Amino acid sequence: MRYQKRKITGLDILLGLLLLCAFLYLAYRVRVGLQYKWNWEVIPRYLFRYDPEKERWVANLIMQGFFNTIRLSIWSTVLAMLFGTVMGFCRTGKSLFKRLLGGTYVEMIRNLPPLVLVFIFYFFVSDQIMPMLGVENFVRNASQTTRDVLTFLFAPPRFFSAFLSAMISLAIFEGAYITEIVRAGIQSVEKGQWEASSALGFSWWQQMRHIILPQAIQRILPALAGQFISVIKDSSIVSVISVQELTFQGMELMSATYLTFEIWITVSVLYLILTLTCSLAVEQLEIYMQRNQS
Amino acid sequence: MKKRSCFLSLAVSIALILSFALPAYSGKIQQELVSESTVEQVLKRGVLRVGMSTFVPWAMKDKNGELIGFEIDVAKKVAEDMGVKAEFIPTKWAGIIPALLTGKFDVIIGGMGIIPKRNLKVNFTIPYDYSGMSMVAHRELAKGFASLEDFNKPDVTIAVRIGSTAASAAKEFMPNAKIRMFDDEAQAYQELMNGKAHAVIGSAPTPAFHALKNPEKLFLPLSKTFTREPIGFAVRKGDSDTLNFFNSWIRFNQDNGWLKKQKHYWFETNEWEAMVQ
Repeated sequence: MRYQKRKITGLDILLGLLLLCAFLYLAYRVRVGLQYKWNWEVIPRYLFRYDPEKERWVANLIMQGFFNTIRLSIWSTVLAMLFGTVMGFCRTGKSLFKRLLGGTYVEMIRNLPPLVLVFIFYFFVSDQIMPMLGVENFVRNASQTTRDVLTFLFAPPRFFSAFLSAMISLAIFEGAYITEIVRAGIQSVEKGQWEASSALGFSWWQQMRHIILPQAIQRILPALAGQFISVIKDSSIVSVISVQELTFQGMELMSATYLTFEIWITVSVLYLILTLTCSLAVEQLEIYMQRNQS
Repeated sequence: MKKRSCFLSLAVSIALILSFALPAYSGKIQQELVSESTVEQVLKRGVLRVGMSTFVPWAMKDKNGELIGFEIDVAKKVAEDMGVKAEFIPTKWAGIIPALLTGKFDVIIGGMGIIPKRNLKVNFTIPYDYSGMSMVAHRELAKGFASLEDFNKPDVTIAVRIGSTAASAAKEFMPNAKIRMFDDEAQAYQELMNGKAHAVIGSAPTPAFHALKNPEKLFLPLSKTFTREPIGFAVRKGDSDTLNFFNSWIRFNQDNGWLKKQKHYWFETNEWEAMVQ
């Protein structure tokens, strides 16, 4: 199926030409209609710059944002998986209370715009939780090595609590979707498996661990990997709470240099590099899983 | 008689106890207030956290990703004079006051205009700078416009940054015009360049800089700024120690001419432009 030979037909050529025309027209409109002064030469400098003090190339604004987006996405996904798994178990559990708990979580979060959620979490919740935990003081008073490790893994001390808020609010948001993925995965395992394992005298936990989850995980893994791509895209929302990720850095740079188009195009290319790489990886994963199954 | 003296002695002893206890109590409160004031916290932490937002030439990132600008110089000098380090927390303008109130940083040094409505939520220092609104207009769309009245028409579109004093100035001086609000100044200027807006209102001198940069498309319809606004630091309410420190700092640096020198460098020259692009 996959290696079927492709033939180029007249329709393909026609469509290709039409697309080319549309693109050229767009380029023409941008050139004539906008009368925009392009200034691409300065962009590379905002990606990487040479640091004479350290005598090596270091990431500048945009790339710093890019790395922060990656950090944020990875940590949020890890946390979201935790939320999603716990809530997914709740949603498929036997007790009514657990099912209601899981249901409320999913319905609440999925029916709120992520932007609103981020604001609520940032201004109401995180201001109560973060000072209580003393996160900021902890990071500030930590030893140099700890601080360096935390800076590498998360964010520098001054952005630490904002980073945590962003991470947690993204995780809560994405966790709702992962809950549904986990629920669907567990419920997709045939009823007979439950009945058979129950007849063998397995407890609920043993059933889950030895029978249901190994099958469910195989089914939900591609969907989970796909959700990771969503996290990368959604992470741009937290630019509103001034987390220094890619979108925020892009906007900051734009207000300083007024290079609107160049910066947005660069930022979208960077997002595409990130998400397309992940998409390819997910595709490979799916092929691998299919091969293993058959 | 007996009863009365008993009551009297009781009253006297209560009064005595109170007269000793109250000053002690209020002294304790005062101590607590002092130790909890932002200034003390900053000294203890060794770091002054400054909330700001990018706004050319008040604060912007240079080629190396470092913050530069008038506000940045001011904040660095404040921190230096306190003997602490300045730490900048770039924050979106629309959310900068809530972020101050919830303690994300100690002070806003970000070209914030002192307006009564804002003052209900935060405390302002005495002004360390004055700014005014100026306007830059599109050459073709706003052809021949030369006064505020020319722009005060329903078919005129004005672009401003949301939540800024420019937004309120636009509403006040041009109530009939259509006002479009943007999250960033850059977007407002882009709208003007695209010919979707007749004019942009912003704090001087940014509009003038844009007119200089694109002389074939933009022009300055008004020769002068049409408002004059005091600019102050914003701090949380109920903290008179901090307010007093900043006020004195401003007075001191106004009188020795430091503020004036800095203002001249950032607003009347463009030597710094090479640092940005």
